[in-house]
Amino acid sequence: MDLEDVVRAAQRGEPLALAALLRALGPYVGRICGAIALDDGDDAMQETMIRVLKGVRRLREPAALHGWVRRIAVREALKLARARRPLVPVEQLPEPPAGIVPELPVEVADTLRQLPPEQRAILFLRELEGFTEAEAAALLDIPAGTAKSRLHRARQAFRRRWQG
Amino acid sequence: MSQWPAAQLNPVRQLRVLAEVLPGVGLVERVLDAPYERVWSFLTDLEQSVPAFDPMVRSLRVLSRQGSRLVVVTRTSFLPISSRFEVELRDGWCLMRSGTYLVGMAAEPLGEQTRYAHLEGLPCHRAQALRILRPVFRRVVSGDINGIIRTLATSR
Repeated sequence: MDLEDVVRAAQRGEPLALAALLRALGPYVGRICGAIALDDGDDAMQETMIRVLKGVRRLREPAALHGWVRRIAVREALKLARARRPLVPVEQLPEPPAGIVPELPVEVADTLRQLPPEQRAILFLRELEGFTEAEAAALLDIPAGTAKSRLHRARQAFRRRWQG
Repeated sequence: MSQWPAAQLNPVRQLRVLAEVLPGVGLVERVLDAPYERVWSFLTDLEQSVPAFDPMVRSLRVLSRQGSRLVVVTRTSFLPISSRFEVELRDGWCLMRSGTYLVGMAAEPLGEQTRYAHLEGLPCHRAQALRILRPVFRRVVSGDINGIIRTLATSR
């Protein structure tokens, strides 16, 4: 069964198809929620999947699935990250150990942890997902100018954490 | 920045999602005092495990198996009724669906113990009024989990 068939069956409420859709979307949603919500990524992913499976019957075109899911995942991850992580100014955080190369996920996570969730979100959308600034701004419901300045600050902060 | 942290939805969390989405089901979670490998190897032997822990099932027979997909038939204990279930069976995950009933089992290791989630109810997506049945199915599920705990204890 291809993804479109899975979506159609999930829209009919077929439990095995709902489970199949969970699995099919898992890596994609996990990447978004993990990058933005970090330690709370699993919780954000669970909330995202609940919203996706509850709303899938209203999705008119299965081809639009990933765009629709992406929007939900970004919002849920940001909501959870904002709620659970009190912001700490970058200047007050400890420096990472010298000489570390950002290759391991845990090291990247340590650096991302030091950014506000809003900066993590736009960095993820721009650097990993390849969206333009305008597209990322639309996904985050912010003006294009805000996206541009936020991305600039996020890149600076990320580099500063690595380069000391 | 090629390797970003990724989140995961383990089988227990996947079952929680289904329980939120399907109105007419009940979900119960427990920590079982047995290692995951022992719990899951017991549960996945469906022909032995289901009649052992569920008093409503007299027998279960596997009709076919193709990868993670099985077809099984159950016979009830008190009435001569047979039900055909489509089953999806993976590591830590089992979902069984007949025309009128749904059973879900999920497990994950928790040190020397096992976090176990069990769901039963009606495989219906839309009828929100079925939420009224959730406590009923939770009681049914609690009975089944007690049966699993008893069976694991007696087979040590």
